[in-house]
Amino acid sequence: MENQPLLKIEELSIKLPTGSDRELAVDRISLTLNKNEILCLVGESGSGKSMCANAIMGLLPQPHVRPVGGLIMFEERNLLQLSDHQLRQLRGSRIGMIFQEPMTALNPLMRIGDQIAEVFSSHGAVSKSRLKTKTVELLSNVGLPEPETIGDSYPFHLSGGQRQRVMIAMALALEPAILIADEPTTALDVTTQAQILSLIKRIQLTRHMGVILITHDFGVVAEISDRVAVMQFGKVVETGTAKEVLNRPNHPYTRQLINSVPRLKPMHRDPPSGKQLLAVDRLDKTYAISRGLFKKGRYVHAVNQVSFEIRRGETLGLVGESGSGKSTVGRCIVRLLKSDAGHIHFNNLDIAGLQGEALRTHRKHMQMVFQDPYASLNPRRKIGQIIAEGPIAHGESERDALARAHELLNLVGLDPTTTERFPHEFSGGQRQRIGIARALALEPELLVADEPVSSLDVSVQAQVLDLLEDIKKRLNLAMLFITHDLRVAAQICDRIAVMKLGEVVEYGATVEVFANPQHAYTRELLAAVPGKNWHIPDTAPTDGE
Amino acid sequence: MMRYDLMIDFWRRFLRNKGAVLGLGILLIVFLLAALAPLLYSYSPWSMVQRPFLPPFDREGFLFGTDTLGRDIGAGLAFGAQISLLVGVVSTLVALAIGVILGAFAGYYGGLLDHALMRFTEFFQTIPSFALAIVLVAIFQPSTVSVIIAIGVVSWPPVARLVRGEFLSLRSREFVQASVVLGQRNTKIIVSQILPNTLSPVIVMASLMVAQAILLESSLSFLGLGDPNTMSWGYMIGAARSVIRQAWWMSFFPGMAILLTVLSLNLVGEGLNDALNPHLARKGR
Repeated sequence: MENQPLLKIEELSIKLPTGSDRELAVDRISLTLNKNEILCLVGESGSGKSMCANAIMGLLPQPHVRPVGGLIMFEERNLLQLSDHQLRQLRGSRIGMIFQEPMTALNPLMRIGDQIAEVFSSHGAVSKSRLKTKTVELLSNVGLPEPETIGDSYPFHLSGGQRQRVMIAMALALEPAILIADEPTTALDVTTQAQILSLIKRIQLTRHMGVILITHDFGVVAEISDRVAVMQFGKVVETGTAKEVLNRPNHPYTRQLINSVPRLKPMHRDPPSGKQLLAVDRLDKTYAISRGLFKKGRYVHAVNQVSFEIRRGETLGLVGESGSGKSTVGRCIVRLLKSDAGHIHFNNLDIAGLQGEALRTHRKHMQMVFQDPYASLNPRRKIGQIIAEGPIAHGESERDALARAHELLNLVGLDPTTTERFPHEFSGGQRQRIGIARALALEPELLVADEPVSSLDVSVQAQVLDLLEDIKKRLNLAMLFITHDLRVAAQICDRIAVMKLGEVVEYGATVEVFANPQHAYTRELLAAVPGKNWHIPDTAPTDGE
Repeated sequence: MMRYDLMIDFWRRFLRNKGAVLGLGILLIVFLLAALAPLLYSYSPWSMVQRPFLPPFDREGFLFGTDTLGRDIGAGLAFGAQISLLVGVVSTLVALAIGVILGAFAGYYGGLLDHALMRFTEFFQTIPSFALAIVLVAIFQPSTVSVIIAIGVVSWPPVARLVRGEFLSLRSREFVQASVVLGQRNTKIIVSQILPNTLSPVIVMASLMVAQAILLESSLSFLGLGDPNTMSWGYMIGAARSVIRQAWWMSFFPGMAILLTVLSLNLVGEGLNDALNPHLARKGR
């Protein structure tokens, strides 16, 4: 009963349209999912892990992307040979799926109770009279509050985590044998993520399902998986039980991946000794929502009496969940936003009130690195121009600025001859390096980095973190590092300020905050980090690197 | 190298749309006709060169026949193409200039300025554009310049709204915020960072606006509000409308000219849309 194969993928190959960067999205992979287990498919973006799940569900965008070989056996049928009609019957009833984006996967104009009921009625599984009770049962099953009445809410009434619970309820409605979860927690905050993961685990245990969980996050793998399959370039490079793969990885790629996972344990760092550069004093920022010419609108207190300081050569981590106001603080400091009250002393000059030309000339002292490497570079300008723009705006000649762009590209580890290229010719990690080079072109004293690595793959993430650390040391920069990821914060920050609902609830040296958190919320955050009990093995890759 | 690749890509997508290729062909013929008009016809389109009411295909050299006063309709078509294209293109440029500037300021600065500029735009949108154009031409005396200005003034609001929308969404993009943080001046950001990224939809819209302008110009001259010294398609139809039952060709040929030119511009516009916004292109061709 325990290890009975539920789903068998044999030698599956999926072809990409001609002109893609490789011929096969998935190259002759074989996987087995047993009853009663959680199989994690891990890999970086472009490894073909989602394609694999879509092939099982028959959701490939045919005919552009189509399976060209192999079998997917489920309940003695090859899923690849089923007709659309047969597949539709399987989907939902025997195989359930949950997606990454709970915000867009629900119909915004339909009550969630009706959406769940629709799953039942479209498969004709439950009589009308029992629909209501079944729906309520499911809603309470996935841990939603007030299951009797919450079915009457629309998706926009619910938080991201609650919507993901609704999605899970819908996927579970017909008691499928298999649940496929494609990055189910990637869009969620860390505390919500922990709840959703434990919910998936609990449901899998009580219903004896097989779960395929697709993720890029080894923390998630360590948290919930029974078995792991690591994918790279469309191939499965390593499979094994979670214990084996996580603690004794065999394949060099797995080792490299695991080695790039930031350790949760902060290294000891000398207390910053440089002179104070930035002092934020009781900063306040309120957003007005939907204010018009003649109406008053609602107000949200995004930043509430926030104070901290940064010294030269110090990295201060601003940590918190979405909506905590951490990005707003960063944007107030670089003056993309104007704060309502409080002071921002930069080298003893209060920049909170600077305006016009004085502000413009001051901007070169503090620069920002943005989150999304795909949105932060103008797609119509060449790399050289992008990096040279800052110095030119501050009066440097175009020739000198372009010459400096060459040096900067070298500094951030890119080929300096690429100045004539456009951003779309670079990968995400390379673009982030270009963004860093652009910020450094003005020789700033303070660098504000807003989630600079959160949209990067884990191995690239490690490289960019190393680069930031290296540059900070070499140029003796002060850095404000905004992140939601405690692992990343542990790696790079000297001190940490934890924010919740616009307020700093804890502020201290990283080592101390991690070892001895004072505030309940900090403890909650630390407890929610996925895979916190997994001691990452020291697996310096033997070859490659 | 890169620009070159982009151009190839652009033409490949454009040429995939057969209608757009056809439209481009027609448009080229109209252009040639306008450019070669003085060579094709040594006489003015206003001079009476044959007997009146000469049917088409009847006499050599007068393929399209003559009108009620014995003027050559072929010459009228050729010289009319000049004025149609001139008015179409120049008035679109006028409308683009007004619309892009107002839209860019409204979208970039937002707030009160946006409110003020958008109410101003709506003010123009609520007035029926043709009626306003008539009033403007009547006030300024009919001439090519006043027709161009009138058409430009009534057709900028959609451009302003489009550009404002693009600016609003691009303004919050990270690369624009990065240029703010770098200390670039607002005008520089508007011109060199945001504007180039709004060009694709503006170009598509402009091609359709040229068609609109040609129609407006024809309608104005149909009513006798065109430049009295310039032969235009609209005027020809207007002059021939009283004899449409006796002499169909007098209004038919200029009408076809308008139809084909406007149609070709619309086809080209659609092709541009496919080529410049490949993600929005219609699926399943």
